[in-house]
Amino acid sequence: MHEPHLPSASTSQLRSQFADDPEMAELVELFVSELPDRVESLERALTSGEFAQLQRLAHQLKGASAGYGFPTIGQAAASIEDALRRGIESDVAMLQQQVNGLIGLCRAAQRGAAA
Amino acid sequence: MTEIASHSDETRPTVLIIDDSADVHRLLKVRLKHEEIDFLSAERGAPGIQLARDHRPTLVLLDLDMPEMDGFQVLRALKDHNETQHIPVIVLSGQQSPQDKVTAFELGAVDYITKPFEFTELRVRVRSALRMHQLVQMLAQKAQIDGLTGLWNRTYFDNRWTEEHARATRHGHPISVAVLDVDHFKSVNDTFGHPAGDAVLQGLAKIARREARNTDLACRYGGEEFVLIMPDTRAHEAEILLERVRAAVEATVWPRHPQRTVTISVGIVGATGVTPASAAEWIEAADRNLYAAKHGGRNRVVTTDLSVCLPGFIARQK
Repeated sequence: MHEPHLPSASTSQLRSQFADDPEMAELVELFVSELPDRVESLERALTSGEFAQLQRLAHQLKGASAGYGFPTIGQAAASIEDALRRGIESDVAMLQQQVNGLIGLCRAAQRGAAA
Repeated sequence: MTEIASHSDETRPTVLIIDDSADVHRLLKVRLKHEEIDFLSAERGAPGIQLARDHRPTLVLLDLDMPEMDGFQVLRALKDHNETQHIPVIVLSGQQSPQDKVTAFELGAVDYITKPFEFTELRVRVRSALRMHQLVQMLAQKAQIDGLTGLWNRTYFDNRWTEEHARATRHGHPISVAVLDVDHFKSVNDTFGHPAGDAVLQGLAKIARREARNTDLACRYGGEEFVLIMPDTRAHEAEILLERVRAAVEATVWPRHPQRTVTISVGIVGATGVTPASAAEWIEAADRNLYAAKHGGRNRVVTTDLSVCLPGFIARQK
């Protein structure tokens, strides 16, 4: 199902480390099913410049993702939170890039679950 | 009567999770589901503190970074409040800051776990905190129990009476207290030996425990003297209860000396509503009634209703 003309970021899949843990399967599924909402909130906060809200969303995602077996999402969220905590919201381009990276990972997780 | 055993074999510990992230609640519950734990959940500090006060959980897992009221404020509030200060708290934090760890421990946390959790580690830390708490509770309780009779001891009585007296005074609730003393106890000891005397004390404790209600507190005050605190009990109700105890003791056949009956004398003070008498004055008044019972021929109950006799009674006795 690899389509060569698409950039790899949009086809890559991210699988939960706990995907095969029967205890966790249901929770992971729930987390992934809620990811589109989170992505939407992240985009909204970024475009409307609500940085406090963005920081909070990133913080929540940081705390939760690793617990669901997605440490890379957690790390991406952590770097956004750190950046906002240091107060570099003036550098919107960089922030945008970071948030897009995070969103890309969330989408990869959805694809991983669907696969 | 408060059953002492029911404290120590409280079966399932309750863990209160205070964290603003619904994910953390979900994950913790799944990851700790084999631990035989009951959960309470709060997503903000203030309701978390309220839950802790209302339910006295065995352990609190507390997030530091929360909106409205942060974890340090919650921890301070828990430690400032009598009813919650002994509940162990494990702090959860997304920050790796050493200063936060120091602050958490200084404020009274027992442990600190950084997010994202390593769940195996979390599990053993929770287990360890629960185990430690259980040991501390056991020791604290042992220090408040009379070894011979299994009733609460003098230390416990002193604290508890002050509390119950203050509570009744504050709310204007009825309360009664009785002082019980074995008649001619020394002669039981001298005639039949100390093991026989001990058996009498244990027998009296058993009768008091049986006749008292769940809310009453039976304590061994010292020697052959016992005290019974009866919250929400009027003087005449207390008298009925203690009269039952007196009659049961008199009717008991003691295996070590079946020919020799044992009796008790009892002094009761009770009141309905607020009285100006202090906690110590109540006990003095109950003691005087005990002596009145002794002088009146023993094997009897002497009762004073402070709400009827006030304010003269306390003053007259001085």
